[in-house]
Amino acid sequence: MTKRLKAAERRASILAVAKVLFADRGFHGVSVDDIARRLGVSPAVLYRHFPSKEALYEAVLDEIAGTRESYIDAVLDGPDDFGSVLSRMTAVFVDSIAADPDYLRMEMQAALEHSPATTRFFEHRWKSLTDYVEFSLKELAREGLAAHVHPLSAALMFQGIVREALYAKCIYQSEYYRDYDLDTLVARLIELFLRAIGYREP
Amino acid sequence: MQTFDRELDTRGLNCPMPILKAKKSIAELDDGQVLRVAATDPGAVKDFEAFCRQSGHELLESTAADNEFVFLIRKH
Repeated sequence: MTKRLKAAERRASILAVAKVLFADRGFHGVSVDDIARRLGVSPAVLYRHFPSKEALYEAVLDEIAGTRESYIDAVLDGPDDFGSVLSRMTAVFVDSIAADPDYLRMEMQAALEHSPATTRFFEHRWKSLTDYVEFSLKELAREGLAAHVHPLSAALMFQGIVREALYAKCIYQSEYYRDYDLDTLVARLIELFLRAIGYREP
Repeated sequence: MQTFDRELDTRGLNCPMPILKAKKSIAELDDGQVLRVAATDPGAVKDFEAFCRQSGHELLESTAADNEFVFLIRKH
């Protein structure tokens, strides 16, 4: 017999199960029946909380938006040179993603499903980091603290290396990098990135 | 209406860029002078409140209209 839950608890349990299934199979690979079956309830119970599968998917995305990283401490606490701030911001971002890799899987699924709106949603989460790299590089080059590299390409390069580190440790759980924890791996990649852009501390 | 001494446009930028730019601009002001910041990131409201709390500057005004936020910050 299914335990009766309060509405808020039921809603939370639906969202938790839906997130795992969307992460594993993508939006198109999951039906409302699948989610209901996994929860051990009838589809009617789900429809009481969410009018459609689309609404349920959006609610899962809303949860991500609600837990967006705060970079205030990373920005204000500690040295404020580019390399130091970038390291602290990236640590906040990486820890937040690693705490719930299902979101990273949802991002991969959204990209494969050619869903522009959802892909934009996930890209937006990266934008704090890529904006910081892109806009800082323009100033750094002016001040002679970095090489004259193409800022947008550098931002993409940075996003690529951080994303690959997250994939290696959180998705593939690659044996190849087993001797390095995620933070160490990311710190080394940031070091390489700073060298690549010819960064020097002020 | 509150006057200001310097204006900073951070529209289109994601947090924490507006905060970083504001921090830089405020550093160039004298004590008591006011910076006006325009932003579009919804997270900016919470971030500027936290920024002023932590940095000791005074958030004189925080207004929102048409998905745009304006902050007036007095340097302390």
